[in-house]
Amino acid sequence: MSEQTGKQMSKEEKDARFEAELLPVLDPLYNFAYRLTLDEDDANDLVQETYLKAYRFFDYFEQGTNAKAWLFRILKNSFINEFRKKSKQPAKVDYSEVEGYYNTEDVEGESGVATTTDMRTESVQDLIGDEVASALNALPVDFRTVIILCDLEGFTYEEMAKILDIPIGTVRSRLHRARNSLKEKLEKYAKSMGYNGE
Amino acid sequence: MESKFTEAYQKKSEDCYDTECEKVAHILDSLVDGEASSDEQEFFNKHIESCVPCLESHQKQKLLKNLVCGHLKRVIVPETLALSIKTKIQETV
Ligand SMILES: [Zn+2]
Repeated sequence: MSEQTGKQMSKEEKDARFEAELLPVLDPLYNFAYRLTLDEDDANDLVQETYLKAYRFFDYFEQGTNAKAWLFRILKNSFINEFRKKSKQPAKVDYSEVEGYYNTEDVEGESGVATTTDMRTESVQDLIGDEVASALNALPVDFRTVIILCDLEGFTYEEMAKILDIPIGTVRSRLHRARNSLKEKLEKYAKSMGYNGE
Repeated sequence: MESKFTEAYQKKSEDCYDTECEKVAHILDSLVDGEASSDEQEFFNKHIESCVPCLESHQKQKLLKNLVCGHLKRVIVPETLALSIKTKIQETV
């Protein structure tokens, strides 16, 4: 935690800065919360709690530094420390079920290439999105987290290390393992869409 | 408690890899995430001039990243959330 320069903000000043600097992060923050909890109500609560804490500790936030990373870090800590325990556990993913789904060998055969012409239609785009979402949701939360932070929110490895309180080397290896697992889950599907899955 | 760990974990030294392809495999994520050093980038560019498998695995890794950032739908923030945050703050602080 870094120190403030000693000057006290007036409440009006604080509220104004809070709104200007932190509220714009609401959208990514809510999305992150949703991907962690997989539940809209829980995401709602988690985000509210995060902003309350952020307001309380706003004096420790250095203006001009990365507000998004700061909020993500608070949210992730809330999720781990309190939220995870007290919330109704988000439905535990049944791996065998998911795995079974992706392993069904015979469904489409190798004829998937025939669908290539539909690739650009919106419904197919939706389908890909759904497929990516369910593969991602089936990953352990630590894996899901690094992929969201990196690929969806575009944080650097260094920012991720700070948000997650882990060394950069761990960010790298966790990301690597997370992608391998995601790849595995998507591979079958990718093949049927005509991507070369090898 | 932020970042006292660092360097020691960051990377293996370049000599640790038996083959160039192994090194590529190790930096694949850094490459697609824009985190590779200019040395690594240069090494990779040179290597793929003569190694198709590494070129392909790089493309595959890029594809995977694009699947997530290009296709994963964002959820819509409930309209009332911003307001209830502000209200809650005024109530409790
Ligand atoms: Zn190679």
